[in-house]
Amino acid sequence: MTVTAGRFVGQSVKRKEDPRLVTGHGTYVDDITVPGLLHAAFLRSDVARARITSIDTGAAAALEGVHAILTATDLNDHVRGPMLPTLFVDGAQGPSAPIKPLAAGDVRFVGDPIALVVAESRAVAEDACDLIEVGYDILEPVVDFEQAASSTELVHAELGSNVGSTMALPPDESLDAAFADADRVVAATFHQHRHTNVPMETRGIVAAFDRYRDELRVWMSSQNPHEVRLCCARILGLPENKVRVTQSDVGGGFGQKYFMPHDEMVIVLASHLLGRPIKWIEDRRENLVASNHARADKADVQLAVDADGRFVAARIDHLEDSGAYPMGGTGGTGAFVAMLFTGPYRVPKLGWSTTAVWTNTCGRGAYRGPWMFETVARESLVDVVAREIGVDPLELRRRNVIQREELPYASPSGIVFDNVSPAETLEQAATLIGYDEFRREQAAARDEGRYLGIGLGLYIEPQAGMGPLGVEAAGLRVEPNGTVNVFLGSGSHGQSLETTMAQVVAEHLGVDVDAVVVHQGDTDIAPFGGGTGGSRSGPFLSSAARQAARQIRDKAIQIAAHMLEAAPEDLDLDGGVVAVVGTPTRSVTLADVAKTAYLGSDALPPGMEPGLEVVTRYKAPTVTFSNACHACTCEVDVETGRIRLLRYVVSEDCGAMINPMVVEGQIAGGVAQGIGGVLYEHVVYDEAGNPLTATFMDYLLPTAAEVPTIEYGHIETPGITPGSHKGMGEGGAIGAPPAVFNAVADALAPLGVRLTRQPLTPSAILDAIDAAQRSPVQR
Amino acid sequence: MKPAPFQYHRPATVAETVDLLGAHGDEAKPLAGGQSLIPMLALRLARFEHLVDVNFVEGLAAIARDDGWLRIGAMTRQAALERDATVASAAPLLSRATPLIGHFQIRNRGTVGGSLAHADPASEYPAVAVALGAELEVSSKAGPRTVAADDFFVGTWTTALADGELLTAVRVPVWSGRCGFAVEEMARRLGDFALCGAAVAVRLSDDGSDAVAAAGIGLFGVGPTPIHAQQAESALVAGERDLAEIGRLAMADSEPSDDVHATARYRSSVGAHLVARALEPALAEAKGGGA
Repeated sequence: MTVTAGRFVGQSVKRKEDPRLVTGHGTYVDDITVPGLLHAAFLRSDVARARITSIDTGAAAALEGVHAILTATDLNDHVRGPMLPTLFVDGAQGPSAPIKPLAAGDVRFVGDPIALVVAESRAVAEDACDLIEVGYDILEPVVDFEQAASSTELVHAELGSNVGSTMALPPDESLDAAFADADRVVAATFHQHRHTNVPMETRGIVAAFDRYRDELRVWMSSQNPHEVRLCCARILGLPENKVRVTQSDVGGGFGQKYFMPHDEMVIVLASHLLGRPIKWIEDRRENLVASNHARADKADVQLAVDADGRFVAARIDHLEDSGAYPMGGTGGTGAFVAMLFTGPYRVPKLGWSTTAVWTNTCGRGAYRGPWMFETVARESLVDVVAREIGVDPLELRRRNVIQREELPYASPSGIVFDNVSPAETLEQAATLIGYDEFRREQAAARDEGRYLGIGLGLYIEPQAGMGPLGVEAAGLRVEPNGTVNVFLGSGSHGQSLETTMAQVVAEHLGVDVDAVVVHQGDTDIAPFGGGTGGSRSGPFLSSAARQAARQIRDKAIQIAAHMLEAAPEDLDLDGGVVAVVGTPTRSVTLADVAKTAYLGSDALPPGMEPGLEVVTRYKAPTVTFSNACHACTCEVDVETGRIRLLRYVVSEDCGAMINPMVVEGQIAGGVAQGIGGVLYEHVVYDEAGNPLTATFMDYLLPTAAEVPTIEYGHIETPGITPGSHKGMGEGGAIGAPPAVFNAVADALAPLGVRLTRQPLTPSAILDAIDAAQRSPVQR
Repeated sequence: MKPAPFQYHRPATVAETVDLLGAHGDEAKPLAGGQSLIPMLALRLARFEHLVDVNFVEGLAAIARDDGWLRIGAMTRQAALERDATVASAAPLLSRATPLIGHFQIRNRGTVGGSLAHADPASEYPAVAVALGAELEVSSKAGPRTVAADDFFVGTWTTALADGELLTAVRVPVWSGRCGFAVEEMARRLGDFALCGAAVAVRLSDDGSDAVAAAGIGLFGVGPTPIHAQQAESALVAGERDLAEIGRLAMADSEPSDDVHATARYRSSVGAHLVARALEPALAEAKGGGA
């Protein structure tokens, strides 16, 4: 099957967002000001676990310019509903930590908010924070998540256990038999270290409660303004029509801003209590220490193979670190890690367990591909198996990857993959990177004492469309002058939706892309929607926009048919003009049609409702799948541990691309984050639970100098949404870690090195080489 | 991240500057390029009641070569030094070390004196200063004095500068004859502070042989101060040619420690390699007639 590009859909249309953003004229939440605005700063715990013995705010309260200092005593009784994401309120998504606005009686991680200072400026608020004296009775913290389950110290004493959730498949004799009968069983343990989202724009909010109107106005750096509205209404006990949330330009979120985070809820409560507008802009140290962390996982994994190197069974026992206050509940991600573990391979049997534990650290949150450890663990394991059985990793994948003719393919977890192309992307990536030629180059380099490596990362990326994630809305209004306004319940924060959704509407309505203006991020303007996250906007939001455009197009043609005294089926709407096909002189403009629709209702077809606008909702399929293969080459300096990435290739299949430039931009951003994750980014705590990586001097992000040029290949297997689009926003960050990890492991394999942990710092590389030299691995 | 309140001063002359510094003692800090001081203030890791901005002080940014010495004013921007032909011929090691400092945006603001006075042990200029045998010119209300680089760096972010003193210039001896210079460093990313590094200078004998007449080796990132690897220098002059052995000897003078970026063991092991990797091209350059 092939996909044909349209006039607008499928074209690399330049981004409508860019003129304002690249010239520095975007409007971010810190650009918002309102009369009487006050500024807030949090006093946060600087110990990981302690009883609070005293809080003395006297000196701080006396500081000139301080308006209020709020502690748990002032604020905690002010909450009218659960401070949880709407999805988690009913408890069905797993247990939640006992969340409070401000620490009451004890603190549970470094960064736990104890007091909120509200002052005339942020600087004064910070000065006041310095003057607050907190007395602590220090307790032993739970820092190491691998020890949490067995620790007698409890992060949340009221929950009675450090195990937040645990799930496992029941014992399965046929699985045991498959392992017992296998030719080889290869086992490994992989660790993925803690890192964090690091949006370029930190979190921030302006909350203005008007006690005379009993209304709340919120501007927030968010991915999901309607979720913020639900949350604000819930915690204040306000009706939703008394809350308006606006999200303007947003400098990234990567999951951090999908739900309404804790600290923003505190600002809303404070504004409600004080009756004053309050701005809180998170600083970078707070963002690194107290927003949310992600990724901290460990898995014991096994893969059983037959004599031909075919996978016969797999097992994953997964442990994740939830921190103290994960965003939402816990235990949701682990099940996806487990169930998706077999990925794009033919694996008849799977066993799994997954456990989430509480620790006295910053809470876990969603980060681009929250379940992606399945790909890290699987792809790393496939390379270990390849080395153990002496088969090239590409060849081993070829033997086991699901082929197109096997689709639909039901995984052992019962997930039915269809409309995917893992085998094709594997081959395209191998061709683009020149796999066989690289193997020759690598052999020649090894003769010179140089260590080159190549790594692959193959995966299938799901987009969940179940429950509240499965409905997207679009409003479309052709104004009386013929211009087109589109209203979306999305929360674009870098995804280019103002451009791509305009392309979809232009294509299906029949107007120029420049004639379409997309509005989103304002709950008073946009229909209720699911925000932007989970790679859903591309496939699902576009379907709603397309549906709206087609409905309006049909109505415009009916009106025009009446005006032209022609049959609707003889008319076409193109370039903003409705004309009789083959007789272009018999035409009316869309502006004429719209004017008639609103102002000349006597000229409408009998019985037709006036106006040219619609709000429509699209119900998504339960799940859609995109897929990709990443390939990376590197050279490792075995004297210094320096890793240099040589080439980076991505073969991506997200179905029909709405805008190839945007697709490649999304891949590039994700790949940079994946490279950063494996080589640089690491949230480090010491044994006392102190974060050691609270600035960009210590938490290292990849820069343009560290990310190689990314080469792209595209395969467009149509998906099951009306436009054949599939989501791909997260994939770059899913495929890159194993590709980089496997490339380094491949480079060092001749030295007997086995890598099992990230990040691959220069120090870690030399330690791994030393370890291999001290105890050579039996090959 | 807002700094604690401070009073800002903008003197126009060195005399005014040292008056202010003298009057406020340890409550005052000179503000040069601000590339380290401002973030430390913003993070409230450092606090000073008085910031004395020396960016508008006359006569602190001159570069001059005279009588076997190169004199560089403390307020010379790193980017200006990087482009300066006089520096490139009189002190190639300084020129070659400069691109390794941060990113170009940082070098546009960052100053030579600021880097030396901040004395981060992982930064390049202090190591170059000890390798070349530089001297630092200091002024106070009591008048000027000169401090040898070996005596200037006391500890991490700590120098021999007393309260009330201002670093005004660095004087670098011009290494002439058949000389070679090189810097090698290992940093996590382009522009980061080095995990470890070596700045080396060699001068071959005037008799035309390959004997090493003088050697300067400064290490960075491997101790609380820049390390002057004198054992390794002596061994080179004494005829040792096994560069791996020279690297090990250099590390014998180091005191590396662990941090989130690397272990002490890593710094020691890789530092030895970097000394050897720097000496190889430096010796080759000297044999080829010199820089």
